[in-house]
Amino acid sequence: MQLTVNGHRYDVHGEVGTTLAETLRDELSLTGTKIACGEGHCGACTVLVEGEPVLSCITLAHAVDGAHVTTIEGLRDHKMIDAFVRSDALQCGFCTPGQIVSAVALVESKPAPTTEEIRHAMAGNLCRCGAYPKIEEAIRTWQD
Amino acid sequence: MARLIRTEKEVEGRYEEVWLVVEEDSLDQWPAGPREIVGRDAVRLDGRERATGQAVYTADLVKPGMLHTAVLRSPHPRARVASIDLAPALASPGVHAAIGPGDIEQLTGDCTYQGTAVAAVCADTLAHARTALRAIACEFEVLEPLLDPDEAVRRGSLLGQPRERSRGDYERGLAEADVVVEAEFRTQVVLHNSMETHQAVVEWIADGIEVHISTQYIWGIRDAVAQGLGLPPDKVRIVCHYMGGGFGSKNGPDDYTFIAAELAKRTHRPVKCALTRREENTAAGNRNATIQRLTVGARSDGTLTALGGEFVNAVGWDGWSSGTEGPMQMLYACPNVKTTTYGAKLNLPPMKAFRAPGFVEGTFGLEALLDELASKLDLDPLELRRRNHTAEAPEGNEYSGKNLLECYRRAEPHWERRHEVRARSTDTVKRGVGMASQIWYGGGGPPSYAWIRVGSDGRATVVTAMQDIGTGTKTAMAQIAAEELGIPLDHVTVTLGDSDRGPYAAISAGSSTTPSMGPAVRAAAADAREQIEDIAEQRGLKGASVADVVDVLEDSQILGKGARGPNPAGMQVLTFGVQVAEVAVDIETGEVWVERIAAVHDVGRVINPLGASSQIEGGIIQGIGHTLSEERLHDPATGRLLTTTLDAYKLPTIADVPEIVSELVDEPDLHLTNLGSKGLGEPPIIPTAAAIANAIRDATGADVRRLPISREEMLRALREAEARQKEKVGAPAGV
Amino acid sequence: MELRRASSTTIDGLPVHGGTEVVPLLRAGLLHAETLVDIRGVVPRDIAPGRIGGGATLAQLECDPEIPDVLREACRLAASPQLRNMGSLAGNLLQSTRCWYWRLNWPCRLHGGDECFARDGEHREHAIYANDFCASAHPSDVAAALLALDATVRTTTRELPLAELYRLPTEDDRRTTTLEPSEVILEVTFDECDRSVYLKAMERKRWAFPLVGVAAVRRAGETRVALAGAAPIPWLLAEGLDDATPLPRNAYKVDVARALVKRARATIGA
Repeated sequence: MQLTVNGHRYDVHGEVGTTLAETLRDELSLTGTKIACGEGHCGACTVLVEGEPVLSCITLAHAVDGAHVTTIEGLRDHKMIDAFVRSDALQCGFCTPGQIVSAVALVESKPAPTTEEIRHAMAGNLCRCGAYPKIEEAIRTWQD
Repeated sequence: MARLIRTEKEVEGRYEEVWLVVEEDSLDQWPAGPREIVGRDAVRLDGRERATGQAVYTADLVKPGMLHTAVLRSPHPRARVASIDLAPALASPGVHAAIGPGDIEQLTGDCTYQGTAVAAVCADTLAHARTALRAIACEFEVLEPLLDPDEAVRRGSLLGQPRERSRGDYERGLAEADVVVEAEFRTQVVLHNSMETHQAVVEWIADGIEVHISTQYIWGIRDAVAQGLGLPPDKVRIVCHYMGGGFGSKNGPDDYTFIAAELAKRTHRPVKCALTRREENTAAGNRNATIQRLTVGARSDGTLTALGGEFVNAVGWDGWSSGTEGPMQMLYACPNVKTTTYGAKLNLPPMKAFRAPGFVEGTFGLEALLDELASKLDLDPLELRRRNHTAEAPEGNEYSGKNLLECYRRAEPHWERRHEVRARSTDTVKRGVGMASQIWYGGGGPPSYAWIRVGSDGRATVVTAMQDIGTGTKTAMAQIAAEELGIPLDHVTVTLGDSDRGPYAAISAGSSTTPSMGPAVRAAAADAREQIEDIAEQRGLKGASVADVVDVLEDSQILGKGARGPNPAGMQVLTFGVQVAEVAVDIETGEVWVERIAAVHDVGRVINPLGASSQIEGGIIQGIGHTLSEERLHDPATGRLLTTTLDAYKLPTIADVPEIVSELVDEPDLHLTNLGSKGLGEPPIIPTAAAIANAIRDATGADVRRLPISREEMLRALREAEARQKEKVGAPAGV
Repeated sequence: MELRRASSTTIDGLPVHGGTEVVPLLRAGLLHAETLVDIRGVVPRDIAPGRIGGGATLAQLECDPEIPDVLREACRLAASPQLRNMGSLAGNLLQSTRCWYWRLNWPCRLHGGDECFARDGEHREHAIYANDFCASAHPSDVAAALLALDATVRTTTRELPLAELYRLPTEDDRRTTTLEPSEVILEVTFDECDRSVYLKAMERKRWAFPLVGVAAVRRAGETRVALAGAAPIPWLLAEGLDDATPLPRNAYKVDVARALVKRARATIGA
């Protein structure tokens, strides 16, 4: 099975049933993608598959054979990272990579989203520390 | 000079007497107001590594040869393991070891709550460990659980003795009252749900042990692990560089650390034991439910004459009976107060501290009760609170500092909005404004230590074995050091998170990290600064910058050390505040949404306004979840938990967040340390539920008395208010 | 377990499309399969007026201006953004209940047991109709919308009204759909309507299953109203809500539904 992750092509193994999150973290050591619930409820594991944010903890690795995957490691130079740091849009930081992946997907399609659009697009990324107001601010001001 | 003192130490509202070595706090506080660096916005030092996913949490740690663990936990609230056979697990692929009841103290066949650890397996992969765990043949003999808190009190199934606290003459106070209001309030079980679940990676190295753990208290874990394993504490190394949320639940080592330690010992491998989300929401602690039967008596002008309450904390099998009565005892000048608090011991998972345990629940009851009183007396709720404000601590011991009246004053513009807010009501959507006060601890205390080194490049490193649990304390410490040294903030780094690399540091709980650590860091920086001033004098560079003074030092370093001084003797160090909530209630569907919350808190000097505003927002948002959507349910017949996954247990999302306006009084507490700062982690969550409930009453006339305010509760309260209204209208004139 | 990519509509194994339901259920041990068949290659996903491929994602549908309001809004308010990116229309119709007893694998009637634990236990989110055998509530917003639209489902073997896709579980047969094991939904069709709306009550503003979802469609002077979260299957409302049979702790849902039905009818001018 082959995956293209952040532009690099990998041959990956693992039994059917292994999730994309497990493959990224355990096999490719890309631990920026977090697993917080493991059942598709919280968004911490969000990655882009062909540019769309999906939940890697309930995506079977074999189902994305051949696909292009972008993880937080592939977004390290994105302006959204600066925006999150500048706006204090994180506290413990465990949900943050997933938040940023979702935020990047949003602004790639809508560079200047409204508050309502931000809230709609980010509602699948839970943050227990409650950094939400600053996350909203970071996304509103990411181009600054 | 070092000094040995006997002093009271407070964490999460619990006091204990301890011996302490403290150093005199010889530094004067900085004048009030923002300084060059302290008191000004700073972005968090470790924001980038957290945001990019480079930060290695315990969850991300992989050691060579590391094994993974799965834990068999009792699915029943009360059961006895009738038989268990680990052999099938040991024969399962990839398995290295399996342990069961009695192998260590933390594994037992006597299950007293759902989630009691029974057995554990470690294997080369997590998938193998889980497969092996399913192979364990375990038969439970299910026993009748005790689930009802009132029943537990009747039967005397209690944790600790009932706590009676009283002052004045409560009965006389009631007799003197023109109006008496009685109400019963109930709060639910709430789950911490830290995004990183509880976990540890344990490895035996030579004659010691290394524990990487997601924790709020490196030194507490060190002591508990040393004691539990019979090791000298200096053979125990605790590491936690980054952790993914705790909120009070990660103060101890729990069962998983000892399970990993035993499996690591047996396999001679590093072993990770990480809870799943479902285990996290079963066995890693919770905010316990409460029942509060409250009474208030007042004169017609609003002066409180009596406050009384029976509080039942549904503690669960273990934990402690937190100070749910605290706000009733401490917040107002009322001369006659009588409370009794029970800690019901039940076959439900043990509570743990959760962001202001007891006071969140107790403030909901007390402050909602006060608004019911205000409504009866036709008094302005803010005015009622002002009338009962106390400048002197009602329980003795003067306040080290209190600016609650100032908080009320600053809340006025928000409170004034209520006329305009109400006017925006429609036939089906009613709007209103409510407020609630906040009182809590947050003074921190000794011991806590910091070292600092300054190199010839004029850059400084603060070294202390504290933890930053996401609150931004690392950044605050850097600000304090930079301010004291007079160097730019980006010239300071902070090394923390490792008990082998730095001196003792306080727990990150009870809103204590900044007030405990900050003064130690400032003292260390001052020690270094004084040495630099000596060198400046010798070089004839008095008044020159640090960089200019030290630039000839090459590999020489300036080393400073500092200790947290004692808290002011005979004084209560407390935090205060007020929140004003604006809500909308759809009276047909029972939907409640919070539109705006204004928060004004008094926590002494503010180190980092940006980080502080984040703390306030986070506390309020957790408070909104607590008030409106979160609830751990159990099956009423069996006691088995039903909402342990994040689809069923509803945390707030970004779409649920109101406009939040926050303000801090920012007056240093002149009696408290060289800094005058108190903690801010907990205060913001305390008044939120009551402020929302009171806003709902303002909007609709309905008395909500149960959390969460689900549609069911909201519609019930509306129906009750409607019936009351009809009764009133139907009553003969003059009655 | 193996994963095969379907090359024809003859499916031999457990079909999986977006996987948002199948994968968590497999991992939780509620579903078992030797062979998974990835059907994304054989299920159409195009959207045309009155005709939607079963493979269209909810994310595609929520921003498509051509489809009726009721369906677009049901998609927009369903699940979370990531789940809407992953989940297909057909998969959404076939999702299982959120009943916590069922999800936690209690031996309930839906799992073949002889008790409905929710009826005597915690049922605040459960069914207010047809709940005497099993009180589970069907969570699909989209199904309620399509039921109100009186949609037709085309599967690999037949065409049937959407209403006939669902069946109430009985003592003899605990299934809630009439789909055969390897039968796959290929397409959904419906006639144009004049006006339509979807209103949803949930416990937070986004990313929650419906306490009650109300789908209302007006077509040639006739109004059809269907409910999500109200019965073990998507529920077509006969008249008002007076015939509801709530349980002790979920009577509030009747009030909520009544209010939303009134508003929905008003919105579409019924």
